Amino acid sequence: MTDTTDKTPDTGQKNIAVKDAGQKAVADPQPLLDVKNLSVTFSKRKGESFTAVDGVDFDVRPGEVVGIVGESGSGKSVTSMAVMGLLPRRGVTIEGEARFDGTDLLTMPKQELTRLRGGDLAMVFQDPMSSLNPVVTIGKQMTEVLHAHRTISAKDARDEAIDLLRRCGIPDPARRFGEYPHQLSGGMRQRALIAIALACQPRLLICDEPTTALDVTIQAQVLELLTELVRDMGTAMIMITHDLGVVAGLCDHVNVMYAGRIVEYAPREALFASPRHRYTHGLIDSIPRLDQRRDQRLTPIPGTPADTVPWSRACAFAPRCRHVTDACVTDAIPLEEVGFEHRARCVNPASDAENSTQTSQVMASGQMAQEESE
Amino acid sequence: MSSTTHELPERPASLAAVMGEQNVDEKGISLWAGAWRRLQRDPAAIIGGIIVLLFISVALAAPLLAPHQPSSVEWAGEVTPSSLPPASADHPLGLDPFGSDLLTQLLYGARQSLIIGVVSTLIGLSGGLVLGGVAGAFGGWVDTLMMRIVDILLSIPALLLAVSVAAIVGRRPEALMIAIAAAQVPIFARLLRGSMLKQRNQDYVLASFSLGLRRRTIVMSHVLPNSISPVIVQATLTLATAIIEVAALSYLGLGAPDPTVAEWGRMLVKGQERLASAPHLTLLPGICIAVTALGFTLLGESLREALDPKSRRR
Amino acid sequence: MSENLLEVTGLKVHFPIRKGIVFDRTVGHVKAVDGISLGVSTGQTLGVVGESGCGKSTLGRAILRLEEPTSGTVKFNGQDITSLPAEKMRRLRRRMQMVFQDPLSSLDPRQSIESLLIEPLTVHGLAESDLEKIGRDSPANHRRKALNMLELVGLPASAMAKYPHEFSGGQRQRVGIARAMICSPDLVIADEPVSALDVSVQAQVINLLEDLQAELGVTYVVIAHDLAVVRHISDRIAVMYLGQVVEEAGSDELYEKPYHPYTVALMSAIPVPDPVVEDSRERILLEGDLPSPADPPSGCRFHTRCPWAREKCSQEDPELREIEPGRRVACHFAEEVAQKIADDREVENERLAHGAEAPQTASNG
Repeated sequence: MTDTTDKTPDTGQKNIAVKDAGQKAVADPQPLLDVKNLSVTFSKRKGESFTAVDGVDFDVRPGEVVGIVGESGSGKSVTSMAVMGLLPRRGVTIEGEARFDGTDLLTMPKQELTRLRGGDLAMVFQDPMSSLNPVVTIGKQMTEVLHAHRTISAKDARDEAIDLLRRCGIPDPARRFGEYPHQLSGGMRQRALIAIALACQPRLLICDEPTTALDVTIQAQVLELLTELVRDMGTAMIMITHDLGVVAGLCDHVNVMYAGRIVEYAPREALFASPRHRYTHGLIDSIPRLDQRRDQRLTPIPGTPADTVPWSRACAFAPRCRHVTDACVTDAIPLEEVGFEHRARCVNPASDAENSTQTSQVMASGQMAQEESE
Repeated sequence: MSSTTHELPERPASLAAVMGEQNVDEKGISLWAGAWRRLQRDPAAIIGGIIVLLFISVALAAPLLAPHQPSSVEWAGEVTPSSLPPASADHPLGLDPFGSDLLTQLLYGARQSLIIGVVSTLIGLSGGLVLGGVAGAFGGWVDTLMMRIVDILLSIPALLLAVSVAAIVGRRPEALMIAIAAAQVPIFARLLRGSMLKQRNQDYVLASFSLGLRRRTIVMSHVLPNSISPVIVQATLTLATAIIEVAALSYLGLGAPDPTVAEWGRMLVKGQERLASAPHLTLLPGICIAVTALGFTLLGESLREALDPKSRRR
Repeated sequence: MSENLLEVTGLKVHFPIRKGIVFDRTVGHVKAVDGISLGVSTGQTLGVVGESGCGKSTLGRAILRLEEPTSGTVKFNGQDITSLPAEKMRRLRRRMQMVFQDPLSSLDPRQSIESLLIEPLTVHGLAESDLEKIGRDSPANHRRKALNMLELVGLPASAMAKYPHEFSGGQRQRVGIARAMICSPDLVIADEPVSALDVSVQAQVINLLEDLQAELGVTYVVIAHDLAVVRHISDRIAVMYLGQVVEEAGSDELYEKPYHPYTVALMSAIPVPDPVVEDSRERILLEGDLPSPADPPSGCRFHTRCPWAREKCSQEDPELREIEPGRRVACHFAEEVAQKIADDREVENERLAHGAEAPQTASNG
């Protein structure tokens, strides 16, 4: 069985031989995190409310790296905050379920969730400075986590923390252990934050834009570190980012979010070689690529993320979509199977023909992956 | 590649119908207009505004509203050391210990508080604007000089200053005004300077400079107007303290020498002796002071919130 | 290259580091820009790329004298502007403009779009070319020019009465661009013009900048950290590291055959939205962080992080030398590095059976 959690009706794709992306699925049929129909609504004063996340389904299998891609306001960060129980209670309504290893995180008692956080569940944020306590040394912040989740002697905790810092690529870890966050550079702080997150060998690591605040050369270091750690420790990871480039190199499966809903889900090869949803398609097309020919004009997505309609009336992307038709104006556009492990929420999805004419010379090599997914 | 337009694609009629319900604001909303809108929706601002309006109109219309003359002590004969005559149709709130009509005193007291409060705040504000504005506009050694002057002003206790001023100019309302204003100058000066320094580091100032605007124009028409809103908020809040200070200083006997001029602070003194037998003599002016100060504070705080950049987003 | 519109020679901007409570004492200098020479010819785009702290923004500001240079010259149209008296400089500003990174903070929140656009015209008057087309300077004609400009940047006329906070980031950046272009400048310096914008909107602004260049013949200096954006928009690229230019070349040549190890590392660090490329390429990971520009390393500034560094690198400061016509690089071993990279690429290409034709080389030089 490959699709244990998929709610959309299967269309006989199950029995198709699984190639690369599905391997883990075969090995571990049970998802580690299973988010079903998650909705987050913020209510403002005077009865107004804003649905930031609107019926989101996704799952993460052990050892898998799942990407959530979206622009600001797409609800990608709110999704992770809701899963981690980090949203304020007041003015926020969370519906649906998020089963971690079978138990629902959303209805879990607070103490139990706190015990889970930092233990089996860990998170890395965009801004390492604000997520580290500025008046406590790096070492203390690490050993605190270790003591909170395990019975461990002070010396062992110290040794383990220093070892972890070393593994996270921090030079001279014994000295850094006694330093305060402000004494570290941005890249070092992010490494320290990752080291803290990994202190108790979490089974799931949620990274919310972990490299956005960093320079590209530092970003490359941190991404490399994450990839290695995840591979070595077998940790599952959710990578939340707006950067398609980060997703392309890192994730096994990718969820694309727009205006609070997942509009496309695919293995990364299929997502980039044959994007189906018009938003994904447009996004991949509009990004200037280093390996692109310079005289090739960019094809932007028109309008701004603010040009939107509620999902209850039409496709939220419809006002910006060049392929909008009357059929897009409906309250129920399902996330439909469009290929193996590939789903898109689009009435008029991009065809292979469009994808192949749009792709640049370099992307032509992506055809292999595309054929595989068909 | 196909389209180069930045415009949104054409919408089918059905989508346009859905979109059409989103109201498109054709007219722009300036920051002040937006702040005004938010103020109108804020209950605290409405309550504060009503109190302040009431206070101002009472102060202005005191001669029309008051049943008697404030200086009249013609009913002194009815007052005995142990008792006051009860309220009557002629004196709805009764008499004060000196035989004046209490209601009249309260109404005229508003007038006195308003005049002294507003005038002293205006003096303080202008002094602060000049010191802070010059410091913020020029920076460098001018800034240092201005701030040292402010430090000196700050080091003089307001009460001591009030007494000294009163000693020099005599016991006149002007002494009160100068004393209160002097205490306010540093507040406004520091606030404006800080605000201007913050604005000066904004990109739009650099943008104006790169466009070739003159420094004077940049300071006068960009930096200053953007720095002024916290000062306006502070002025409203300061009015509240000023009114309390007026009362406090005249309670200490630093107000007008003429005992017949109605003033809330002095009414407290007058009522003090009969606190046990006639508590309303102190209570009523006390409430007037508190409510007026509350009104200005509420208004000031809502103004601050309405002008806050964080709440500006729509 | 005498026909260069902009010619920067030996430009330095050093910021003093001050300490002390009562008396300020200069304890050192942050060498934000430390000896940069560059030229941009009319109608071309020069991209300046580098990581945060490399001094690229300071360079942009120093060119416009928004930051006073410590030494060196900036020649605009053959005229040295570093020694120009303030009033003359102010008048010259109509011909050299700036587009800022954050369009919200670079527009006065109290001004309507109309007032924002007309302000430069009231200061400088209409450009000569506009005097023929639109007529003499008058409030009505200024308004007409502002409306033309709005249309040119793709905003509706109804935007005139609105205020910056009522627009989205992309639209605000259009206003910022319109404002910079309204006096028909010859040179526009764009400092991170798209990095504050949503991904889906960035391409719109990049296209707009290209369209305006085609229409108005303006010369650009585009400063950004994103090499992909810079490469797309620029004819030539200067790569900066710690206050210095380490490599300068035509955009295509730079991508084709990078000489400087830092350029190589920078290009390999940029994630490409294509899993096939991502999986196949060899990352050259730099170690450590950017050293402090207050205390730059001896010799080659990059040697502390350079994977190819040798003894010579920590001792001798490499000169920015012309390695090929129109290509300059500051590395002792540039040829070896380039050869190594070229070999690696060949191997990789063979492995992928890529069959991709080589991108055309740019026409300028």
